[in-house]
Amino acid sequence: MTVPDPDGGSGKRTYGPDFLTALFQNPLDPGYADAAARKAEGRGRTGVARRVASGSTALMLLVIGFLLVVAYQQTVAEEPARTVARDELVDQVENRREETADLQARADELAEEVAGLREKELTGAALARLRDLEAATGFATVHGDGAKITLSDGPTSVDPVTGERRTESRVKDTDLQLATNALWSAGAEAIAINGQRLTATSTIRQAGEAILVNVQPVASPYEVVAIGPGDLAGDFRSGYAGHFFETLVARYGMAFDATEVKDVTLEAATELKLRVATPSTPPPAPSGSSSSSPDGSGSPVPSGSASEGGR
Amino acid sequence: MIAVLALLAGVLLGIVFHPAVPPELVPYLPIAVVAALDAVFGGVRAKLDGIFDDKQFVVSFISNVLVSALIVYVGDQLGVGGQLSTGVVVVLGVRIFGNVAAIRRHLFRA
Repeated sequence: MTVPDPDGGSGKRTYGPDFLTALFQNPLDPGYADAAARKAEGRGRTGVARRVASGSTALMLLVIGFLLVVAYQQTVAEEPARTVARDELVDQVENRREETADLQARADELAEEVAGLREKELTGAALARLRDLEAATGFATVHGDGAKITLSDGPTSVDPVTGERRTESRVKDTDLQLATNALWSAGAEAIAINGQRLTATSTIRQAGEAILVNVQPVASPYEVVAIGPGDLAGDFRSGYAGHFFETLVARYGMAFDATEVKDVTLEAATELKLRVATPSTPPPAPSGSSSSSPDGSGSPVPSGSASEGGR
Repeated sequence: MIAVLALLAGVLLGIVFHPAVPPELVPYLPIAVVAALDAVFGGVRAKLDGIFDDKQFVVSFISNVLVSALIVYVGDQLGVGGQLSTGVVVVLGVRIFGNVAAIRRHLFRA
């Protein structure tokens, strides 16, 4: 065998440790041992070669020190860039929020001005009719007596086996829709859920675990306040909805209450989106076909308003 | 002694000149640092073992840096740069730990 045996040349084959084991057992470069062996044999470097070698080591250490500092500075320099970007975003969000609040204040101001001017221009019957319409459609603040329906979630138990939360006892959007529909049919003139006034285009719908009224989240306990005839609360309790909620209370532990309230104030609905408008004085119709002129009375019927949730 | 002085001189040079790293070299910096630390601890251990060799030190440092940079580069081109960097750091980290343990045994006899 002419090839030198890497396992020591004793003829007996021994298996070397695998790479990782060797790495763990002997982390030092084997080159150092070889160089030491060469030195021991008297073949070490002398004179100029020796000086060049130690010089190159010094140079190398210089480079290493330089490298460490550069890496440190680089790491330190990158950090502020990240926080700066984040701070800028936070600033932007806050600025936009302030802008939104300012614009909302300006919109309120202008709406007041419009209302003032309108009252100055209109008189008597027209103004009264306008106010009635506004009150009925939810775009004006209204005061009066009525009923307050309170609904709140029952206890949510956690299933001991699956760890799942049972959500049957939570108030659902359909429950609120049922309550508002019952109130409308019992003669309510204005309804608000947790301060959100219902209009002809209001929605009550579930988004995940939250219930959105007018796209604003509302949370338990839900207070449905309605202004209407004096026996509204009693009618509600003895009607279908009242019995339905009593059943829910008995079965799932929800809380339900219907009481009469005196002199409550319901705020106007926040957003008014004008989608269709027709001139109040129809332009002179072309001769012959006046039947196609649109009906100007677009006042929404309140009793239909809460049914948009898709029941 | 000269070695420590050279290291300090390098640190000072870095602080004084404060060089800007070209962005395309930034990913290689941490790997180069780990490779440098491996070479330094290997050298210190060899010194304590009494078998330090200048040429071996210089060559091992340069080759470590180049090979690890190459691995990271190839990894970046293949889209597995992060994993290969991890591999380099693991291998060199194991060696650093082993050498530091040997240095510790030399210094504290424990």
